Amino acid sequence: MNAHPDLSRRAFLGRLPVVTAGLAVPVAAVAETKGPHWAMLVDTRRCIACQACTIGCAVENALPEGDFRTVVATYAVRTPEGRTGLSVLPRLCNHCEEPPCIPVCPVGATFKRADGVVLVDGERCVGCAYCVQACPYDARFINHKTGKADKCTFCSHRIEAGLLPACVETCVGGARVFGDLNDPESEIGKRLKAAEGRTRVLKPEAGTQPRVFYIGLDDQLAGRVAGASATEMMWRPTHAGA
Amino acid sequence: MNTTVEVLGFAREPGWLPWAVQYFFLIGISTMAFFLSLPGLLWRRAGWEGLSRRALLAALVCGLAAPLALLADLHQPGRFLNFYLHTNFGSWMGWGAYFIPLYVGGLLAYAWSALRANRAGLTPAALVAGSGAVLVLLYTGMETMIVAARPLWHSFLIPVFFAVTAFAGAFGMTALFEALAGRREAPALNRGLRLGQWAVLLLVAAWLLLALSGAAPYREALATIQGGWTAAWIWFIASTALTLWLARGSSLLLPALFALHGAWLARWLVFMGGQSVPKLGATHAAQTLSLTPDSLLGIAGTAGLCLFIYIVLTSLVRWDEPAKV
Ligand code: SF4
Ligand code: SF4
Repeated sequence: MNAHPDLSRRAFLGRLPVVTAGLAVPVAAVAETKGPHWAMLVDTRRCIACQACTIGCAVENALPEGDFRTVVATYAVRTPEGRTGLSVLPRLCNHCEEPPCIPVCPVGATFKRADGVVLVDGERCVGCAYCVQACPYDARFINHKTGKADKCTFCSHRIEAGLLPACVETCVGGARVFGDLNDPESEIGKRLKAAEGRTRVLKPEAGTQPRVFYIGLDDQLAGRVAGASATEMMWRPTHAGA
Repeated sequence: MNTTVEVLGFAREPGWLPWAVQYFFLIGISTMAFFLSLPGLLWRRAGWEGLSRRALLAALVCGLAAPLALLADLHQPGRFLNFYLHTNFGSWMGWGAYFIPLYVGGLLAYAWSALRANRAGLTPAALVAGSGAVLVLLYTGMETMIVAARPLWHSFLIPVFFAVTAFAGAFGMTALFEALAGRREAPALNRGLRLGQWAVLLLVAAWLLLALSGAAPYREALATIQGGWTAAWIWFIASTALTLWLARGSSLLLPALFALHGAWLARWLVFMGGQSVPKLGATHAAQTLSLTPDSLLGIAGTAGLCLFIYIVLTSLVRWDEPAKV
């Protein structure tokens, strides 16, 4: 296990010259080279549920109040023996390999890039919310300000500039590791290999092949949770609609 | 077994607003009312003339109001042209963008031919409207059914449920127009109403049997119906039985109103109830009706639009051939 909570960040930054050099090579060479396939590994054991990522993402992506692309769901779990502990589930778009949100879009506004990132073409989206229905993870929503489908983009604008996604950058516990699945030497590649057999994805039965992996994920939290919700007992922001 | 409390969670708001309920309600009733208009207007079955004229009126009122409700459900209504500029034919909704104008266009041509007694144009127009109606019923059911992420929707019974409740609703709307025109009784309409309610009850029973037998995704869907939604489903079943009982006599208005209430509630339960269930975590979407355009005002607005179209159509055309069957 890595002793430095921010190594994922440093490792990525260390690779930047390689990324930028890669961008500079001639087109033919790029076509021959297998490009990156971005993914995330969330080590829930390192997450302290501080929501720095939630806020970092909201600020980076200028989300309207009450809309979130990522959030850390937090649970109080009590065992039959009477022990109570905290469990967390950092949630975001899984950038699925088989994303059910794409085929349903009536205007082809949602698509998956060659580098694995699932995006919405904001110019084309009609805000029909069909993709919102089809996503098995509640990862999508209609942005209250734009009236278009919205979701985590892995901060594509940042990765194109050689930066890490905002949530990874702000993660206090170093729980989020972002990188290239195609590169076995990348931090995520090494971590996934080290944790082989112990990583999980959300709702594997949905057949979506998520590209967000979890270590230390509580079985009970991998889908709909049969339990009480404190949020339902509290005040919640309401929107007048887009 | 651990006990879990979601201390900090969040729920997505419904992406499909009450406008969607209005759309599915109106377009379903319109297509079924169109079929109800065929015996008297196309096939000239003796005694069906009056009833079929009122059914056509119901098809027109609902069919003209429905696309506006659908447009209002888009969060970017001004971009509806993208449905045609960038159609994804792999999506049922993409196809729907073509089926709706096919149906509404066919319906208008059919109504024009029927009311102008243009026999030559009637059959082709009925064929276009009929295929449009079947395709609309098909796509509205399928676009809901294929959503595997929502257990309540992901069932082959959903398109049938929509069709059957629309069938009952079409009889209800036609009976309402009969009653508004001052008619006291129309036994054929009450027979249809009863048939519709039986079919709805049978379908719900089949669904419950599947759920109780543990079949996926029915079992999961049943488990997600909680709190106020359970009460609403019980009321739906009870009011369907009540409609059945009310329609046993000759009275028109009350069973008609109950049948319409049932057809609308069926869609509210499926769409708003289905969307309240979290796909991850434990927090349900808050379901509050408010005085906003996307909520109560929208529902009232659609009803107002139907009334407006009804007034215009009844002012321009005579629909009052007496019901005979
Ligand atoms: S998590 Fe949802 S929105 Fe993201 S790619 Fe998968 S299906 Fe699409
Ligand atoms: S909301 Fe936008 S991206 Fe989603 S299905 Fe509709 S048009 Fe496509």
